[in-house]
Amino acid sequence: MIEFKNVSKVYNGGVKAIDNVNFKVENGEFVILIGPSGCGKTTLLRMVNQLEDISEGDIILNNTSVKQSNKIEMRRKIGYVIQSNGLFPNMTIEKNVMIVPDLLGWDRKKQQDRFNYLMELIGLHPDEYRKRYPHELSGGQQQRVGVARALAADPPVMLMDEPFGALDPIIRTKLQEEFLQIQKEVNKTILFVSHDIDEAVKMGDKVALLRGGKMMQYDYPSEILHHPANDFVSEFVGQDRVLKSTSLYSVKDLVDEVSLDSYHEADSAQPVNEDTSLRIVISKLLNQEADQLVVEDKQGNKKGKLTLELVEKFLHKEVKETPNR
Amino acid sequence: MMNKRISQIVKIAFWIIVIAFFAWTFANDLFRPIVEEFRTFTNLLIQHITIVLISGLLAIFLSIPLGIFVTREKFRKSEFWIVNIANLGQTIPSLAVLALAMGFLGIGIKAAIVALFIYSLLPILQNTIAGIQSVDENMKDAARGMGLTPAQILWQIELPNAASSIIAGIRTAIVINIGTAALAYLIGGGGLGAWIFTGIRLFDNSFLISGAVPVTLLAILIDYLFRLMQKLLVPKGLRLAEEAQKS
Ligand SMILES: Nc1ncnc2c1ncn2[C@@H]1O[C@H](COP(=O)(O)OP(=O)(O)O)[C@@H](O)[C@H]1O
Ligand SMILES: [Mg+2]
Repeated sequence: MIEFKNVSKVYNGGVKAIDNVNFKVENGEFVILIGPSGCGKTTLLRMVNQLEDISEGDIILNNTSVKQSNKIEMRRKIGYVIQSNGLFPNMTIEKNVMIVPDLLGWDRKKQQDRFNYLMELIGLHPDEYRKRYPHELSGGQQQRVGVARALAADPPVMLMDEPFGALDPIIRTKLQEEFLQIQKEVNKTILFVSHDIDEAVKMGDKVALLRGGKMMQYDYPSEILHHPANDFVSEFVGQDRVLKSTSLYSVKDLVDEVSLDSYHEADSAQPVNEDTSLRIVISKLLNQEADQLVVEDKQGNKKGKLTLELVEKFLHKEVKETPNR
Repeated sequence: MMNKRISQIVKIAFWIIVIAFFAWTFANDLFRPIVEEFRTFTNLLIQHITIVLISGLLAIFLSIPLGIFVTREKFRKSEFWIVNIANLGQTIPSLAVLALAMGFLGIGIKAAIVALFIYSLLPILQNTIAGIQSVDENMKDAARGMGLTPAQILWQIELPNAASSIIAGIRTAIVINIGTAALAYLIGGGGLGAWIFTGIRLFDNSFLISGAVPVTLLAILIDYLFRLMQKLLVPKGLRLAEEAQKS
């Protein structure tokens, strides 16, 4: 757990980068720090692993104040990924990935097994890349290795500063999805900086929106989108916020809330899987690919018909009725 | 294409001149002193190498730690002063440095070694500083964030990534040093300068050539050895990256 308690940061020269921030990241939670450029996201992140001092307040990491911890030891228990991957060009991929386990004195066998496991996890062949050097990899591959390196010593906490920010959109989307899969397997407590609201909504269990060093809203993505706390949040998430929220829901969520129209064999309708995101569903319906979709569960049983009206009904319900948590 | 052809022509012209030069020296039997006074020659050569070696080693052992020192976060401010002091040694003409050293240490090899030592400090120091400062800030930040100690960052990240620049600095210093060491004779330091200056004074080309050619060959040989060393000491990943960037 990471707990920010009245945290403020004033840089030498008087810039107040963080202004009395309070929030908690629970174990296993994936929290996105977001906000306009210069709002203090990086500063807040770097205070957790003490790359920046805390001017006021404290950060409690797994029941210990980070101020009181031994910096070197603490950092070895926190995965750290930055935008420009920071791989060491003088070391092979294996050395790069195993740098923290090496510092911790793991034996050769344990390191090798871990390397193989991590490379499989990020989708790179261990033996093919073991002896390669960073410059021989593409940007996307380097960033994957950066993630593997941060995971190497199996730290409970990960700090990630716009890890996919420098990649082109197609690769970025791919890595986002891969990383969500990885997170399902490794279940880390993650603080992840982003400036892209779509990324935040897609990836985060919760979103922390900052502005000028102050916390504007800290809540579930659906809450941020449906119930922005103030005009700034509302403007930041965009006027299409309801549309954005559609990527948060799957057909299954809809089926749980509203009943589908009944389906007749004679109807011409495209099948759609229960796991499909509502965003895709709307796109399909608007696209004239079909006026209606027929929902199928995993076994292929047809559960009913889905139309734009139903989606609208569901979204209205969600926007109005989500309790303020 | 054009550039390649020009460089080829220059290369060929260079070798023609070299061959013509050696043909001329051998035709006039200009290496006679080396054969006739072989013992003197080896003594002078050894003196020459000794001056270069000791002054160079001293310069390396002072400049590299100094370069590391001034690039530490805490001592950043000292960089200005230290580089400027070293600069002073370099801007004074080599002959004046020799004269100054002689003023303090008197005539002899010691003064020559000290003068050349002072003269070699700057290139090594500058290249050490430049090499360490060119190490990507993000890379160091990642290292710090993962819990490497400052010493580990120095040895595992900064020095390997600066190695190419540091070795280039040493190479420059030593090669210049080999040429400058010929002046050591003027303050009684010995070395192959003895024959060069004798040759000049007596208008005797054979002494001039027998002194100057070995000095030149020595410089070329050392330059080559350092380039080889660069290959061995610069981490493979960096060398490959550099090569990839060039092509
Ligand atoms: N080392 C520093 N010294 C002084 N001011 C800084 C430093 N780093 C960041 N700042 C300032 O602090 C504010 C927040 O910066 P940062 O945390 O990098 O924002 P973000 O990551 O959200 O873009 C900015 O105004 C920035 O100029
Ligand atoms: Mg930032």
